[in-house]
Amino acid sequence: MGVTVKRSKSETAKNLAQAHFRNEPKLKHVRLLEPLNEGDPRDPIKLLEVVEGTIERGIEPIAFPANPGLGIDYPVLIIEVSPREFQNILDNAAVLGSHGWIMGNELPAV
Amino acid sequence: MPATDLDWARAYAKQALSDLDAREKLALAGAHKCHRLHFLQMAAEKVCKAHLTVINGHEKVRKTHAYVEKNLPIIARQFFTRMNDENRMSQWEVRQIEGIAGEIELLAPACDDGGTRRDNSEYPWEDGHRAVQTPCEYTFPNIDDESRTIVRLIRLIRTASESYAV
Repeated sequence: MGVTVKRSKSETAKNLAQAHFRNEPKLKHVRLLEPLNEGDPRDPIKLLEVVEGTIERGIEPIAFPANPGLGIDYPVLIIEVSPREFQNILDNAAVLGSHGWIMGNELPAV
Repeated sequence: MPATDLDWARAYAKQALSDLDAREKLALAGAHKCHRLHFLQMAAEKVCKAHLTVINGHEKVRKTHAYVEKNLPIIARQFFTRMNDENRMSQWEVRQIEGIAGEIELLAPACDDGGTRRDNSEYPWEDGHRAVQTPCEYTFPNIDDESRTIVRLIRLIRTASESYAV
């Protein structure tokens, strides 16, 4: 019987970012938000996604469940912001800090 | 003093926001797709009722669920255009909402497209092969509720609801 190896949160986040770049023509950047808490499968992966032209609503997570059938073994929070909001977040770490998060790595499109 | 139309619109909008909060909690907890869709459908319906109550008055907002397909794209046009300077982006977002609004409406058990679509997020139904389908086991293949369109839809409902809730 085969053994299914669970992908790490880090690897899952990279795959998710690539998929989102393929499906969102106005997506400019995806940044991982830390902490990732690899040891806690219930703690969601948090992706900050910079979308040109999106409505500006600040830090507003939208939750998605784990979907092991699609290779997503963890819940995911998408935080969509405009380029201007992204710059504000880069200039002011407290914006993320108030949620308990810090800016993580850029996740590439390919 | 009797309740005004704005009182009713505010109440619909607040309940839409609460429905979205419930969807967030259910999504993080790994609830079945039918439950996530159920709260999304209810939020969509209520923001449409808030919109129509402001425009037409509470008395004309009938007890029906068939509001979403027609009115959600109207709300999208209003809010994306008002809040977004880049018209091309607005058109793209509105098209995404138009594409999903009909399917969201059909999630309500009372909306079955003249008997051709009995699939819904709440009650079991008999499919075209006379088999009983159960919402918590059904895949709802016409709605990908993990897609970018859902992000767009939730952000629209929140934005519109907040504007009617004040």
